[in-house]
Amino acid sequence: MKKYTLKRILTSLFTLLAILLVLFILMQLMPGSPFNDEKLTPDMRAALYAKYGLDQPIYIQFFRYVGNMLRGDLGVSYNISKNTPISQLIQSRLPISIQVGGMAVTLGAIAGLVLGILAALKRDTVVDSIATIISVIGVSVPSYVFALALSYTFGFKFRWFPMLFSAKDIFGSSVLPSISLSMFTMASIARFTRSEMIEVLDSDYMLLAESKGISGPALIFRHALRNALIPIITVLAPLIVDLMTGSLVVEKIFAIPGVGSLLVTAIQSNDYNVVIGLSFIYSAMYIGIMLVVDLLYGIIDPRIRLAKGDD
Amino acid sequence: MGFFGRYVRQTAEMNAQRGTLNIMLETEVQSLDPQVATDGTSFEVIADYTDGLMQMDADGAAVPAIAETYDISEDGKTYTFHLRDAKWSNGEAVTAADFVFGWQRAVDPATASEYSYMLSDIGQVVNAAEIIAGEKSVTDLGVTAVDDKTLEVQLNVPVSYFLSLMYFPTFYPVNEAFYNTCKDTFSTSPDTVLSNGAFKLTDYQPAATAFTLEKNPDYYDAGKIALDGLAYQVIKDSQQALMSYQTGALDMTLLNGEQVDQVKDDPEFTSVGAGYLWYISPNIGSVPELANENLRKAITFALDRDAITGDVLKDGSAPCYTVVPPQFATGPDGSDFSADQTKFAEFCAYDADKAKEYYEQAKSELGKDSFTFNMVVDADDAPQKVAQVVKEQLETTLAGFTLNLTVEPKKQRVQDMQDGNFEIGLTRWGPDYADPMTYLGMGVTGNSNNYGLWSDADYDAIIDECTTGDLCTDPEGRWAALYEAEQIVLEQAVIFPLYGQCNAEMVSSAVTGVAFHPVALNRVYKNAAKSE
Repeated sequence: MKKYTLKRILTSLFTLLAILLVLFILMQLMPGSPFNDEKLTPDMRAALYAKYGLDQPIYIQFFRYVGNMLRGDLGVSYNISKNTPISQLIQSRLPISIQVGGMAVTLGAIAGLVLGILAALKRDTVVDSIATIISVIGVSVPSYVFALALSYTFGFKFRWFPMLFSAKDIFGSSVLPSISLSMFTMASIARFTRSEMIEVLDSDYMLLAESKGISGPALIFRHALRNALIPIITVLAPLIVDLMTGSLVVEKIFAIPGVGSLLVTAIQSNDYNVVIGLSFIYSAMYIGIMLVVDLLYGIIDPRIRLAKGDD
Repeated sequence: MGFFGRYVRQTAEMNAQRGTLNIMLETEVQSLDPQVATDGTSFEVIADYTDGLMQMDADGAAVPAIAETYDISEDGKTYTFHLRDAKWSNGEAVTAADFVFGWQRAVDPATASEYSYMLSDIGQVVNAAEIIAGEKSVTDLGVTAVDDKTLEVQLNVPVSYFLSLMYFPTFYPVNEAFYNTCKDTFSTSPDTVLSNGAFKLTDYQPAATAFTLEKNPDYYDAGKIALDGLAYQVIKDSQQALMSYQTGALDMTLLNGEQVDQVKDDPEFTSVGAGYLWYISPNIGSVPELANENLRKAITFALDRDAITGDVLKDGSAPCYTVVPPQFATGPDGSDFSADQTKFAEFCAYDADKAKEYYEQAKSELGKDSFTFNMVVDADDAPQKVAQVVKEQLETTLAGFTLNLTVEPKKQRVQDMQDGNFEIGLTRWGPDYADPMTYLGMGVTGNSNNYGLWSDADYDAIIDECTTGDLCTDPEGRWAALYEAEQIVLEQAVIFPLYGQCNAEMVSSAVTGVAFHPVALNRVYKNAAKSE
């Protein structure tokens, strides 16, 4: 297990370095310049390139970036927040995305599990049909439609919740965006839970467990759900990263100062360091979560843990 | 209902905050460093808490601020500003040395200020150009603190609009001792900025989407400030912004063209000049057909500007028949340089017959029956709509004329035009300072914004005379010469002006006294008040 974990971590680090290189090359291919104000004279632009070292060959820029990064310096923003260290931008914005995304994932996962389990247990009944309809809507309707509808109904009409994100009322102003974001997660989880549960419920070991006299919640949670969870976690992992790294449209609608909107603005304005910094953190989170998922498999399914133990 | 009730109450409380103006912004502040900032949003906020030597009055004229009085030498090349008793928010006095330090930062190559040319090319401050080029030291800049209260500025040539540059943030003071305690973190939080203006920053972090300012009790003119504070909120979705405005959470918000129809009869709707001239630039230097003056004239006469603003934009934008749009440059007699939009209308106003006449001439001169050009257009809503109409108008009036549109992100479009990699381009220009030269200077041979690579020796000579020549000391003569230059551009159809952009805004009826300006500081709140 140790050897396996170590190998996984090393592979992850290598992948991250490769991603960084690709990001660097992609930045070079992006049209435009971070200093694209039409008022800039060529001399002035050259001076700005020199100031930020962008006049250097790309491999020098790359090695300098990696060197700085190892010291925790991700560079500064060139235009969306001039000269602000990227780490500072991320520090102020990422927690908000994580908080809203975290609420959405929690909500979506719980609701999805409940819905999926109910649908599986009451297979081919009205409950199942309703659950299916909710799932189809959740998967096929984009989150911004929910966002607009919720914002209009509960923010504008009834005024139960703030229409816009507010630092003074983080929880309250996160309710509507979290619900909007959770719909897709809820629907996906519900669908997977239902099909996994049905498969597990039909399996021989369930029959064995039942014949041993186990019944009720113990049967469902300890035997059925536990086995159904593995594929669900696989589905959930990328959703978590997706939501925590911010959703552009929902952030735009609720004016949430998260990283999703920051990344898009940065891409539009060629703010290289912001794009690289955020994409890199996104990748790191993704790879990190995948690593955790692999280790979780072992905890949930002893067969995996034991097999790896043989290494 | 208890849970929901809490939020209902909170919203009500937030709305009831009297005396604080809730303002919508479309974009985040890019920088609060006065010598680094370049965008309108940043300038507006910096000016909320910083006063320069001069400020803008309601009509945009330069009136004293930190400078209580000033003297201009007879040759117009030395300005002496006498500073009033004003304090920074840390209690220190605002001194002439603060201006010297701020201005030196602006030209220091280490700062790489994008607006350093405001001191060199535009302001003509002695040695500014040489310092920017790295040839001289910042201490050689032609600005001296004679004593704490006296600032002396030396110019290369008389600059008629010099006072109006003094409200531009690049020229704002920076306290050197305070700056040295912050260095890299300067202007990134309420603790790292000093205020000498009407308000002071209470809550801000870089790229913040919401931040606040409160009235500065130590402001020298504090008695005149009616507002308790300003609360800014960045909202990028215009529908959400309008709904927030309707709930009372905002006192001012910007609208997009489509929303104007919804609210145009609302008394709170207002349309304010944004200062931008939208125009079409043909690539005269590299496209042989467009070097033909008659073809260019045919195009400009075939453009119906009224239809563009009235039927398509509908946001208050006005047709423009001059190179210098109206409402920002006032002349020696106090009148608007471009108030008279009929002055040059004979060279460009829509006239299908004239267009066809010139088109026939162009066809025979060029020996061609049909023309196909490509126009680069920003991938934004308004420019795309305008380009569609332009295409339709040209293709309808001029038989055999085809205009293809290439829609690309603005940054790409600007780069293509700067590189000369285009045939026709739809572009815009906003004024940097209150003088027609901010537009006419672009037409000079070799200017980096002369996208069409047009060149005319007479034109260059006039502009030269007005910038550094004898006309600098003769305001009336200079004004007349600038009209002459403008006529050359329009007569030769060097560019095809389309319209002056307006911003559609909602301003609550409870709010009075917000000053809107098309140049430098777009919104000023010093005289604003908010009733219940």
